[in-house]
Amino acid sequence: MRIGIKQWFASGLPWIWLNGAAVSINVIMVVGVLALIAVRGLGHFWPAPILQAQVQGQEQSTSLIGSIVDDELVSAEQLRGSGVVLPASQESAKRLLIKTGNRDVTRADFVWVLEQSLRQITYPQEIMALERREWGNFYGRLVAIKQAGTVVAEQGKQADQEMWQLMQERVKRSLNIYDDIQAIEKGAIGEINHGMERLRLKNRSLELENQLTPLLQAELEAERRQLDRRYTGLQQQLIDLYAAFERDSMIAETMSGTQIEINLSKVVRAYRPNGMTNMAKVNFYMSKIWEFVSTEPREANTEGGVFPAIFGTVLMVLLMSVMVTPIGVVAAVYLREYAKQGLITRIIRIAVNNLAGVPSIVYGVFGLGFFIYFLGGNIDELFFAAAAPAPTFGTPGLLWASLTLALLTVPVVIVATEEGLSRIPRAVREGSLALGATKSETLWRIVLPMASPAIMTGVILAVARAAGEVAPLMLVGVVKLAPSLPLDGNYPYLHLDQKFMHLGFHIYDVGFQSPNVEAARPLVYATAFLLVLVIALLNLSAVALRNRLREKYKALES
Amino acid sequence: MRVNMMHAEHKTNFSLAINAPQGLRMEQERIAVEVNGLNLYYGGKRALNSVNMQIPRNRVTAFIGPSGCGKSTLLRCFNRMNDLVDSCSIDGQITLDKENIYAKGVDVAELRRRVGMVFQKPNPFPKSIFENVAYGLRIQGIKKKRLISETVEWALKSAALWDEVKDRLHESALGMSGGQQQRLVIARTIAVKPEILLLDEPASSLDPISTLKIEELIHELKKDFTIVIVTHNMQQAARVSDYTAFMYMGDLIEFGTTDQLFTNPVQKQTEDYITGRYG
Repeated sequence: MRIGIKQWFASGLPWIWLNGAAVSINVIMVVGVLALIAVRGLGHFWPAPILQAQVQGQEQSTSLIGSIVDDELVSAEQLRGSGVVLPASQESAKRLLIKTGNRDVTRADFVWVLEQSLRQITYPQEIMALERREWGNFYGRLVAIKQAGTVVAEQGKQADQEMWQLMQERVKRSLNIYDDIQAIEKGAIGEINHGMERLRLKNRSLELENQLTPLLQAELEAERRQLDRRYTGLQQQLIDLYAAFERDSMIAETMSGTQIEINLSKVVRAYRPNGMTNMAKVNFYMSKIWEFVSTEPREANTEGGVFPAIFGTVLMVLLMSVMVTPIGVVAAVYLREYAKQGLITRIIRIAVNNLAGVPSIVYGVFGLGFFIYFLGGNIDELFFAAAAPAPTFGTPGLLWASLTLALLTVPVVIVATEEGLSRIPRAVREGSLALGATKSETLWRIVLPMASPAIMTGVILAVARAAGEVAPLMLVGVVKLAPSLPLDGNYPYLHLDQKFMHLGFHIYDVGFQSPNVEAARPLVYATAFLLVLVIALLNLSAVALRNRLREKYKALES
Repeated sequence: MRVNMMHAEHKTNFSLAINAPQGLRMEQERIAVEVNGLNLYYGGKRALNSVNMQIPRNRVTAFIGPSGCGKSTLLRCFNRMNDLVDSCSIDGQITLDKENIYAKGVDVAELRRRVGMVFQKPNPFPKSIFENVAYGLRIQGIKKKRLISETVEWALKSAALWDEVKDRLHESALGMSGGQQQRLVIARTIAVKPEILLLDEPASSLDPISTLKIEELIHELKKDFTIVIVTHNMQQAARVSDYTAFMYMGDLIEFGTTDQLFTNPVQKQTEDYITGRYG
């Protein structure tokens, strides 16, 4: 039986199909975005095989060592235009982007070569890759290992495997020393610097108040001397550590046959991907991922990890939530419970809703103008005169960034809380009032706890919005590289005045401000994936909290 | 109990069963609350017309009348619950212990502690059974744990709920049945030891067995409290109350002992109502 097109429309079936299609498009887009950044980002950490080949030029061939990063199809016309000789019949050629490393030797660590110009492609087991603290990766062969200038192992005299083992041990040793050095520099010396700064500020503030008696000055001086003594001791330790750190080096040969000496203190990781078993590759992959999420960035953020950015993002969002929740809830309680409903409350509600639509950069400008210059400036004048002319709160920092985002997200919390308050049954309020509770007691003990799931919904939306926000943060506190975390062991532990790093800004910085775009690109994807993951985690924990509250107060819905 | 209930239903089908003690006389009662010339307006609309009445102490007084007659509104005047309605205004007096509760400077929270109220639908708080009953005490700032737990136990026993819940005091009150919830609300209300207990159709959303339990409870509670109950159900009024007030369209038509009002009403309107001619 055939049905006419009219009946088909009337049956509502087309709308169901349309709705289904809309949902699928959304799902496909979300999955697509996640898959793209996950594959591009996470693939970067897999140990790529290193190829060795001869590149056939017009007159001579050069040797090349490196790993393939990307490929693309280029039209022959375009290539001929740039002087490449190609057979007349050919219409296009595949071009490979190869990471060759060795920036210190060759000045560039990526090259484009035509696939067809590669000859004698091999994947020799003994080619090693070194991750270094500067100049990027090194690809080449290990020739010799030196200790304090004298050769202790040499290719040809020792078995290759034995030498590699020796090198790995020495790299490990230097990494251990590096950790010790870091612990002293960041930990103990950081603490001393902090103490010194405190003493300086104390001295200065006493001076400003004209209360700097010789006795006090002597006391401060004594304290300072004690810190100085500790510092000198640590300095000596450091000198010894550095001497040990820089003891070993290696001679390595590049693809063109040049031999260079690399000090092992510069090496973060040495590996031979071609010789790795699958198990070893997985291990390597895991350790790279761990490095990415747990260490600080190196080389202008193009290498190493993003831990400070994760930390900054999470801390900023938590601070923002802590600030936005009370402000939003109190405002909503007043609007819904106490204010006389009328024109003015209507206008306020409209204003609040519109506030949610103001572009975020505007909040950034406001934060800079009001919080930082005005509030921060005044706070500095009043409480931190000793530090002048260096600003304490009169400069972008964690506190102002959190406050700015709190302002940005407060409408969401107000709206959600009001919604929640309006849903609390009248009967429960009356029950409490009838027992002799005042209105505020009823609010605090009954109404607000019952509205807490709704409040959490508001906070969830606020977190979702704040965690992804970058533009205003660039004005009020985020930096490319923060020297220390805003939370540490030095009093007052949480440094609200410090600048911090943020994953969102990190993506922007690595992607657009990086000196080495090719090296940075995979990190852009990886960081983006991580940002999504962090936001999802923050949201999920808030949702879990809300569900617990809902379970607790699943009141009177029956 | 089942027999008892069937007995009650059986009676309701044929005649009113009047449980009230015979020979009560208003002149011999001690008066708990006195209402003098009470008018109440919702906006411009008058909802109570100069009501005068005296509520006797330690008795059960029932308000009956058709829907919208103002019986609940009158009840809610006794603990000033009508204050919560913006458009509501009142003149006249309600005197509790020689004090006009509508005088200026009266602490409404304190008044509501002295005049407890149970609503039509059970409204337990989303807290544990124990915390529900302890709520009023905590509001008063009582911190002593022993005193609180003793009072909670006493209140639950008085509300004939203790045996059913003593093993799950710290579970959520929302998991109880409707009848249990209503008795919990009564326990919660008497825990603060009010002088007067206002019951606003306390059994209207309950099944017959729960209703019966509530009614038995009312009998028990009148030893300690003055009870005012609003009910749709004439049989219920006849069963539980000592005095009955019949209201119609905001007027107090007739007020007397339950016995007299149901067997020998003075007003024609009362008679029409209790014989089922309207309402």
